[in-house]
Amino acid sequence: MELQLNDLTKKFGNFTAVDHVSLTMTNGVYGLLGVNGAGKTTLMRMLCTLIKPTSGNITYKGKNILELDGRYRQLLGYLPQEFGFYPEFTVQDYLLYIASIKGLRPAVAKRRTKELIQKVGLSKAAKKKMKTLSGGMKRRAGIAQAMLNDPRILILDEPTAGLDPNERIRFRNLISELSEERLVLLSTHIVSDIEYIANEIWLMKGGKIIRRGALDEIVGNMPETVWICRVEKQKVSFMINKYKVSNMKSEEDRAELRIVSADRPLPDAVQVKPTLEDAFLYYFGEKAGSEDVEI
Amino acid sequence: MLKYEIKKVFLKGRNKIALLLLAIVLLAVSVMTVNRVEYVDENGGHKTGIAAARNLREEKNKWAGYLTEDVLRDVYRENQAINSEYASGSMEDEDKIYQKRQGISSIIDLINNANSPWREYDYYAIDSITEDQAADVYEKRISGLEEWFASGKETFSREQQEFLLSQYKNLDTPFYYEYYDGWAALLQNISTFILLLALFIGFFVSGIFSDEFQTKADAVFFSTKLGRNKAVGSKLGAGFIIATAVYAAALIIYTAAVLLILGADGAGCPIQLEMWRDFYNATFLETYLLIVFGGYIGMLFAATAAMLVSALTRSTVTAIIAPFVVLCVFPFLSRIVTLPQVCSFFPDRLLDIYNGVRDFSLMQIGGKVIGIPAIIILVYTAVTLVLQPIVYRVYKKAEIK
Repeated sequence: MELQLNDLTKKFGNFTAVDHVSLTMTNGVYGLLGVNGAGKTTLMRMLCTLIKPTSGNITYKGKNILELDGRYRQLLGYLPQEFGFYPEFTVQDYLLYIASIKGLRPAVAKRRTKELIQKVGLSKAAKKKMKTLSGGMKRRAGIAQAMLNDPRILILDEPTAGLDPNERIRFRNLISELSEERLVLLSTHIVSDIEYIANEIWLMKGGKIIRRGALDEIVGNMPETVWICRVEKQKVSFMINKYKVSNMKSEEDRAELRIVSADRPLPDAVQVKPTLEDAFLYYFGEKAGSEDVEI
Repeated sequence: MLKYEIKKVFLKGRNKIALLLLAIVLLAVSVMTVNRVEYVDENGGHKTGIAAARNLREEKNKWAGYLTEDVLRDVYRENQAINSEYASGSMEDEDKIYQKRQGISSIIDLINNANSPWREYDYYAIDSITEDQAADVYEKRISGLEEWFASGKETFSREQQEFLLSQYKNLDTPFYYEYYDGWAALLQNISTFILLLALFIGFFVSGIFSDEFQTKADAVFFSTKLGRNKAVGSKLGAGFIIATAVYAAALIIYTAAVLLILGADGAGCPIQLEMWRDFYNATFLETYLLIVFGGYIGMLFAATAAMLVSALTRSTVTAIIAPFVVLCVFPFLSRIVTLPQVCSFFPDRLLDIYNGVRDFSLMQIGGKVIGIPAIIILVYTAVTLVLQPIVYRVYKKAEIK
């Protein structure tokens, strides 16, 4: 299985949301990391045939996915960022309906619905209306609908947005479990979502993929170094303005700062192993972090 | 798939309320229709309802049978007798005359119509004519039309005049008569009910396409295997089934309620008993079926327009307005714009076939003369059919930006 993005570009008027992206994907988990507005959702929507590229194309096994039409979408499971549903439907009816438009035969649809309701932990809520579910339960219903057709390609757009930490961990584990023998593309602006489960990470900025590779490659190839140092509290603002600070831990009259910098920020600063959070800070900058990024 | 599309519509709170309102409208229109049939008792009291209809039916069915010249003469004489019995002119006597005449009132109407100036109705015509003139109603219907043509007060072409005359001459006479007031009342209110019904149905189907966008369920919908083909077809199918089922159910309930209370006699009587100048040679039942079918096509057209707007604009509110524009703004326009020929082709005319068959609304295509109701039924059937693949295509091509 090979999904290929060939010089893919999408423009909305004068704004270029996705800018000449060329990539190849096979089985495995791909983490698409970028701040809001980076073009992640547009890229995913093109992968789901929801919008047509302005130029370039996407091919599956060498054939244009738009020409493959239903034959391509048959392989697809998609959880959009803004997961809409039919509020008056019960969870079970919702899944049965989605199963029907995915072309599953009624008997298969019933079996898959039952299996997935159990798998995502919604057994007790199966007869509840979708509108009465909590945010986390809705997301779980969302992943269940995406998995109904046992998709070869699973596309998850910001699947953990708005979830509390427990739900996020649970969701991450669920995705990890579901990712075997399929291609999973997971977009997020939450670094920890993909840090441990992605085989390959793509960093997206301004519609372009600016870095790609395994976690170690992304982190290891970062041109700057990560330091930990302790400063007096009154110097914290100065340090934040001068350096990229990826973390700050307050102590009694001092603060421990984690700094991404090419040079040693203070004589007593200790060099530490960089993480994906540090790389995120390096590539997307502090401003992006303050606006959009949850680490 | 289809089942869930239909379920989506009727699980919505707004549609549940609309369904309840439709039930209230159905009840109100049924009561109004039933109250159209009145029976005046011996004390002059006006009564409505099952008992009143039963009494009136008994009175009228005493004269059931073919309205031959002999029967018309008998009615004439009966009317004279009633007039002479209560000749004082007092209010009490007027009530008595009305009460006594109830059994023959429809036949008197027929005689009055035949002996009134064209397009007018002289309520007292029977009192100023001879027995022979009263017996000559069928011939007078034809000669009245000929005289009207000769007067030059109309603008029909020679072919249209010939068509109308031929329709008049082809009408089977003598008329078979029996109590038909249940059907008459039903037909008088049916156009209003069909209009309201079409607006309700437009409301029900207006969200079928746009609600996917409104609820943001569109992304999942269009990313599924059948989301850009069969699932779109199932939405169209759901719209058609909902429109047809609601229309049929509401009209069956309305018709059954009215005819059960007022009586279903007279289905086979000619519609000319009620609409004297109607050139469609049909019975009450046939006219009812034509009205219902015309209304069905008009309703389907309005519902399809709502679905098209729903698919195009992705806004349910805008889609709800579409049937109002199609069915209510056009007739309003026809009142302020003097384009009678064009107005006859507006879709609202489909919902008012009752008045369409009363008028001499004709069209000539080549040498062939056809009634406009028949033409608009054909035209809007074709337009509605053509719109289906357009709605399908618009929705199938939707992009989620």
